Amino acid sequence: MTDKRPTNWAAGDDRMVEDAIRRGATRRDLLHMLMAGGVATLTAGTILGRATAAVAATPVSGGMIKVAGATSSTADTLDPAKASNSTDYSRICSIYNRLTFLDGDGSVQMELADSVLSDDAKTWTVTLKPGVTFHSGKSLTAQDVVYSLMRHLDESVGSKVNSIAAQMESITAEGDSVVKIVLASPNADLPIILALHHFMIVADGTTDFSMPDGTGAFKVEKFEPGVTSIMVKNENYFKDSGPHLDGFEFFGIRDEPARVNALLSGDVHVASALKPQSLRLVESADNVTTVQTAAGNYTNMNMRLDMSPGDKADFVEGMKYLINREQIEKSVMRGLAVVANDQPVPPASKYFNADLKPRAFDPEKAKSLFEKAGVLGQSIPVICSDAASSSVDMATVIQQAGSTIGMQLDVQRVPADGYWSNYWLKAPIHFGNINPRPTPDILFSLLYAKTAKWNESQFLNDKFDSMLIEARGLLDEAKRTEIYGEMQAMVSNEAGTAIPAWLSGVDAMSSKVNGLEANPLGGLMGYAFAEHIWLEQ
Amino acid sequence: MTTLTKAIAHKSGYHINLVGLSSAIVILFWAIVALFAPLLTPYPVGEIVDWDYFGPSSSAFWLGTDYLGRDVFSRILMGARFTVGISLAAVTLACFIGVTLGMVAAVIGGMFDQVLSRFLDAFNSIPSKLFGLVVVAAVGSSIPVLILTLTAIYAPGSYRFARALAVNINTMDFVTVARARGEGTVYLIREEILPNILGPVLADFGLRFVFIVLLLSGLSFLGLGVLPPNADWGALVKENISGLPFAAPAVIYPSVAIASLTIAVNMLIDNLPKKIRDRED
Amino acid sequence: MNSIILRLIVQRLGVMLLTLVIVSFTVFAAAQMLPGDVAEILLGQAATPEAVAALREAMGLDQPALVRYVQWLAGMTQGDFGLSYVTRESIADLIAGRLQNTLRLAAITTLFSVPLALSLGILAALYQGTKFDRFVSTITVTVISVPEFMVATIAVLIFAVYLKWLPALSYANEITSLWQMLKTFAMPVITLTFVISAQMIRMSRAAVIDTINTPYCEMALLKGASRKRVVLVHALPNALGPIANAVALSLSYLLGGVIIVETIFNYPGVAKLMVDAVATRDLPLIQSCAMIFCFGYLMLIMLADIISILANPKLRT
Repeated sequence: MTDKRPTNWAAGDDRMVEDAIRRGATRRDLLHMLMAGGVATLTAGTILGRATAAVAATPVSGGMIKVAGATSSTADTLDPAKASNSTDYSRICSIYNRLTFLDGDGSVQMELADSVLSDDAKTWTVTLKPGVTFHSGKSLTAQDVVYSLMRHLDESVGSKVNSIAAQMESITAEGDSVVKIVLASPNADLPIILALHHFMIVADGTTDFSMPDGTGAFKVEKFEPGVTSIMVKNENYFKDSGPHLDGFEFFGIRDEPARVNALLSGDVHVASALKPQSLRLVESADNVTTVQTAAGNYTNMNMRLDMSPGDKADFVEGMKYLINREQIEKSVMRGLAVVANDQPVPPASKYFNADLKPRAFDPEKAKSLFEKAGVLGQSIPVICSDAASSSVDMATVIQQAGSTIGMQLDVQRVPADGYWSNYWLKAPIHFGNINPRPTPDILFSLLYAKTAKWNESQFLNDKFDSMLIEARGLLDEAKRTEIYGEMQAMVSNEAGTAIPAWLSGVDAMSSKVNGLEANPLGGLMGYAFAEHIWLEQ
Repeated sequence: MTTLTKAIAHKSGYHINLVGLSSAIVILFWAIVALFAPLLTPYPVGEIVDWDYFGPSSSAFWLGTDYLGRDVFSRILMGARFTVGISLAAVTLACFIGVTLGMVAAVIGGMFDQVLSRFLDAFNSIPSKLFGLVVVAAVGSSIPVLILTLTAIYAPGSYRFARALAVNINTMDFVTVARARGEGTVYLIREEILPNILGPVLADFGLRFVFIVLLLSGLSFLGLGVLPPNADWGALVKENISGLPFAAPAVIYPSVAIASLTIAVNMLIDNLPKKIRDRED
Repeated sequence: MNSIILRLIVQRLGVMLLTLVIVSFTVFAAAQMLPGDVAEILLGQAATPEAVAALREAMGLDQPALVRYVQWLAGMTQGDFGLSYVTRESIADLIAGRLQNTLRLAAITTLFSVPLALSLGILAALYQGTKFDRFVSTITVTVISVPEFMVATIAVLIFAVYLKWLPALSYANEITSLWQMLKTFAMPVITLTFVISAQMIRMSRAAVIDTINTPYCEMALLKGASRKRVVLVHALPNALGPIANAVALSLSYLLGGVIIVETIFNYPGVAKLMVDAVATRDLPLIQSCAMIFCFGYLMLIMLADIISILANPKLRT
């Protein structure tokens, strides 16, 4: 029970140790280095063991593994346009490929595209890699790419990224291997946008996604929504680097303790999205390792600005002061979080506005603001659910703070089932949970722009919208950083969305499973783990 | 054991044994706790009082701390209100409605019995947790809704059970005699049927109480039930279940509380004075 | 005698059919009352008013509810449960596999728990007031006092995590041997036996004791028959009705009540399917699942009714 991982030890430190090992440091050098860093000997040994294992092992081929995701229902889909949760993402990442992808450092790499180029950030030329084939044997052509991207513009498809795709004014094939994309206004981030999971490339004309064709590292062998899926190795995969596994089974275990137990008993090899409170147990097991993703995901409290009481600016500001962010970081998240400042761009982003400090916990200031808004003494409903991770705990932390100043918050926990369609975006005050997105442009377009379908607090600001479009086309990084910095301040002060903390995700796996690294796009290596991991025999 | 359970005589003429008496004391204890809980809790139920989590029992936190670092003792005391209050209200309502209707149906019989039985069968056939899920999806979760939902779930079962017993009694000679005497339905139910089915009905009441306590905890598993920061005992077990491998007090004590209450209720019923429990003819 | 039984069964079947119609109407009405527009939920973020209207029309949602009810009922009588709103697959196909899983688990649990519970209950009645009786009573009360998810989690921790004897999940793709099947089902069966046996034990004990206290059994006892003989020969047949009822009620839990067990052991049964259906407002699927549960329940209590009528000749009117 005493085996606690030091919370100041980050994935970057693991990498540093690995580098040192590569350079030929001896075990004593390393221990010395770790001790200097203030890490207790016992833990230092653990870190060292982990790093050594990661370097020493060379990928081996073969083996089937079982992976447990956090969610699953009959609404599971293999249609990239409709994918909406980690389970869908994990499956589609193994079946298809994107034109580009983001690596562990968050920088853009080419996948199906050989290059994605533009002179003015408005007209883009995508050149495809030669010799890529689908599982069916068909070659990848520009027409497949055009079809895959155009789908998002078709309202009847119901694409989740329709609002982002809407900026692509024309998508045309020029020959077999070149696609031209013309944007409505310049956007320098197109290569990053194309790395979103929804922009996976499917075969031209696909409408039935029950057993789809893709170029990915694995083929679908079995897919039962809400039950399970089995993928088998694609022997003709175009990358030399993988896949290593013969196949894998992916299913969701929604109950978190059950997921942890399935991992500890050896029934599954990987269990994703663990709660911080489970780490004590998982890390005390000797045949299990964990991977922690950088903090980027967040659970937020949304006060709709067009509904009472969120229409009173003082109320919204008061609520932001009523959040004991340190307590959320330490007690709710057990240190697996970074205190946030009510705007969505994570600290790891190069556009992060470091001058914008998180609001301090100040119940007295909140009280005077509530008095000004005339809401003190009212009972105000706050909707939370297990569907938005940790939102029930965050709500109780805020409720407790409210009770000390006479602010009565009526926390209503509603069922996780149906939460996203029935309460999220709809209730006057409700919690949401947002997955990491790679750029400020995507975050703002998806969540804060006037036309954004997920504008959680109904934040409508013309100046903000025009700044968004301006920054999108800028190739001058300094200017862009400045605008994004200002926009962060705007949403932090004016939007009805309070973001208490950025949360880290934790995946745990059998120590026989190797090759899984942290990725800024989310857990399970940004859900693209399947082609990278291998099983020690 | 037999010496322990030796009957203790009371002036009233009722006899209750030691097991029954101690069960009654346990129930009374929880009832008092439920009534006065807000005065007894050392910390507010929602307040995080400890930076550690799943903390051990200590002088500051008698029953340790939960997964967030809240005081388990305070949470159990407040939880008693919900577990005892909601379950008792629901089981009483359910059994009262069910048993009354069941006896009436058995005595009157005919069309009335048929229609009522079919209707309640139809109702009973919907699985309880799924029914709860649909109700909460439709009208939201509050304490009256919870009580009524639990009543609706358990009344048809109680009806079925009471009716089956009453139908058996109804065919007995002494009922036929009474009926031939020209006694009315109310008399038949009160004087002939009820005393003869009271034993099993009370046993059923005790079981149903346990089921309701557990269904409450089952509902909390599905994310329904009492609203935060409060929690019924089942919800306390559920939210701290990841402390089970460490035998954290946060998961052990709420379980103990549930067990103590449900066992006491059933033991009391099993050991009720003969005068109440068994028919006297 | 045989013709009486036959007439009885036919009559009960008729009653059951009638009940099913009532149920179907209730279920349909309840499903309609769920908040949230189906077309809107299906379209999700892309729900423009035009798209919603078009989808509603395509799905026939613009027709009056009563018309849709009659269509649905007519379809069901022909074995056509309709299409799922969410997956657009035939509901019959969606349910078939899940139902098989549910029934398999229910059957194994029944085989295991019913004989166990009834023998314990009857034995406790036989030895009423003895240490054995007290022991059984205490154990049953203690056992049902533990929440289902706690039993399941403790079982998983002991048998799967520490001892590694049994799998923590009960869904295996390929079950090749009987031994493997027993191992796969062991944990949910243990959990469910804990949950459903207690009621059967208590009720069978109470029913038998109750009949022992009736005048004719007392007479038999007075005449010098052994308690064992009175219980097995005189009391048991008369207690059969209440016992059958208790068993039927307990077993009906195995159809729709096992949602927690299905969740913890990741077992794809009908209950989980219905929870999914409620979450996605897949009304045809909700209705079909509910109808299946009701049908199963009504079958069970019909059997219980027939048994109790056969056991007590006085009820054959």
